[in-house]
Amino acid sequence: MKVALFSSRPQFGYWLALAWLALLAGAGLLAPLLPLPYAAANADLQHIATPPEWSAPSAHYLGTDSLGRDVLAGLLAGARRLLVLSLPAVVLATVAGALAGAAAGFWGNRGLRLPVAVAAAALAALWWGLELPLSSMPYWLLGIAIILSLVSWRLYRLAARWLSFALPLDSLVLGIVTLLGAVPRLILLLVLVAGPTPTQAQFLGVLILLAWPDAARLVRGQMLRVRVQPFVEAARASGLHAGRIWWRHALPHACRPLLAFAPLSLASLIALESALAFLGIGQGPDIVSWGSILASMRQDPTTWWVAAGPGVALLATLLALQAVAKARQLEVNN
Amino acid sequence: MLRWLIARLGRAAAAAWLIASLVFIASRLLPGSPEQQALAEAGDLSRPAAGVLSAANQAQNRLALRRRLGLELPLFYVTRSPGPPGRWQWHGTANQYHAWVVALLHGDWGHSYRDGQPVLALLRQALVYSLPLAGAAAGLAVGLALALALYLAQEPGGLLRQVVFTLLSALQVMPLFLLALGLLLLLANPDFINILPAAGQGPADATRWQLAGYWAARAALPLLSLVLAVLPELTLPLVALLRYETRAGYATTARAKGLTAMQILRRHALPNAVLPLLTTLADLLPTLAAGVVVVEVLFALPGNGRLLAEAAAAHDYPLVVGGVLLTAGARLLGLVLADVLYFLLDPRLRPAA
Repeated sequence: MKVALFSSRPQFGYWLALAWLALLAGAGLLAPLLPLPYAAANADLQHIATPPEWSAPSAHYLGTDSLGRDVLAGLLAGARRLLVLSLPAVVLATVAGALAGAAAGFWGNRGLRLPVAVAAAALAALWWGLELPLSSMPYWLLGIAIILSLVSWRLYRLAARWLSFALPLDSLVLGIVTLLGAVPRLILLLVLVAGPTPTQAQFLGVLILLAWPDAARLVRGQMLRVRVQPFVEAARASGLHAGRIWWRHALPHACRPLLAFAPLSLASLIALESALAFLGIGQGPDIVSWGSILASMRQDPTTWWVAAGPGVALLATLLALQAVAKARQLEVNN
Repeated sequence: MLRWLIARLGRAAAAAWLIASLVFIASRLLPGSPEQQALAEAGDLSRPAAGVLSAANQAQNRLALRRRLGLELPLFYVTRSPGPPGRWQWHGTANQYHAWVVALLHGDWGHSYRDGQPVLALLRQALVYSLPLAGAAAGLAVGLALALALYLAQEPGGLLRQVVFTLLSALQVMPLFLLALGLLLLLANPDFINILPAAGQGPADATRWQLAGYWAARAALPLLSLVLAVLPELTLPLVALLRYETRAGYATTARAKGLTAMQILRRHALPNAVLPLLTTLADLLPTLAAGVVVVEVLFALPGNGRLLAEAAAAHDYPLVVGGVLLTAGARLLGLVLADVLYFLLDPRLRPAA
């Protein structure tokens, strides 16, 4: 069976995919250093919608679009955007989703009991935050609140059970996931960026907000299986602290499916972001991505060279990520 | 089981309501708010007179505009007064959110900031285009997915079968806008093959039938894009399920009885494999709703998706909130449909008398 799974052809595709992704990462990293004659966002008004040309020394090697922007520079800028925006977004969203989902799956609605003092401190902090402007809150008061809750945490280990309350972690996480899933992702993204044009950091935040529920759902489902495994029970029986069991024993197992899931998540996020750029909403005019180059195609459908580069690059990237995910899936299953 | 169903639907409805409320409140809180936009536009219109207006006049105009847009009330039941002391105030029912909810329940979804038309009327006009498009795409995709899955699930895999399978998995990661753009460049390009119209409003002096034929041709490319976009996620899981079912004991029995592979698949494996497909089907409506946005923008169809995209680009919040409500409603409908179909198809799940 193993021989059939690891035949030479999937291996070849896998290495090809990795090579393409490495090339993309290199291009994105080196994009500011490369000696390009044109900047991505600058319009060369003397060469509008010119086909690829190789003869002149500083020609538009891949042509220009209907606004006069260089396609090659745009391609590199798009690769860089993937590297500085999509990749961090997926990494952060996967980590956040994994932690939230794993906690929800491990402790459920009743498992995580917090001392009443924590609730009191949280309520007090909430009241404070609402009643007083945040800037005028003395930081030493906040410090005292944190120290107090830490002390009460130590006390809780000694105190009786009725001094604590259960935090409905599972319902909380599932509720937020349902809330974010009530509207399709592209439409939610449209709505979130419909206001004033978001800055880079805000856009990153929006992408993370949209992407974390998938990872959370996956890890939560896996955690429900892991938490009843014998080794978790053994860890419990040996008297380890629940937080330590969660972090050292259960979490690594519950996160295994993420190996195959993360590339797919990256692919779907890239597709989502490109679709938004293609629709031309919520993006400043100086930001060039593959989607925005493809969008300029709509003004002049005869300029095939504008679509060819970014279209092929985008498709190749998504297919490569899919191939990596498939290979990882085999790894996880074995 | 009925209680479970109601709880599930209630949760979905609450989520839809909450997200629409959040969007509404965020839209009123954001800088670059409708008020400033409308003021800027009004300033553009009255530019010659702008210098003449005194400060008091401008303030008066501002107040009138706020009143016209319903912005003079506080935003929520409790708000914090501006300024350093920041007291919390209770406003009772005289606030923007309450007014919005009451109007919504009376069927008044507000007016578009751009042209002042009622949102509900705009959405209804657009639905005439979007609903047939999405409905036809859903029907075609489901039918095609069933046929393709039955074809692909037959055990001995030929070359054609492998090619189709590979194409489907490639389609799975292909974003809809790229697919639609490719089709547009291929089939509606004056330089290449130009067989299908992709823009315009139709011949001016056409009869009703000619117009219907024109719109059918117009709809072909968007429909094809939508169907191809949702086909893999319907087909591929079904193929895996069908293959799994054909390895079950009852399939072996059926084979021993002398049934052909196709008969086993259709009569025995398909009914068992179709059930999990219903969950995918529930997700189909929102996927289509998102797909319609892309397709309608690209092919210049005057439907809901384009309305929403244009509203988002123009910061037309009442329309955006209306679009969100409509989409969330479509998702709710999808959930209801899937649950009802579950109960119809699988008697084991029905509530016990």
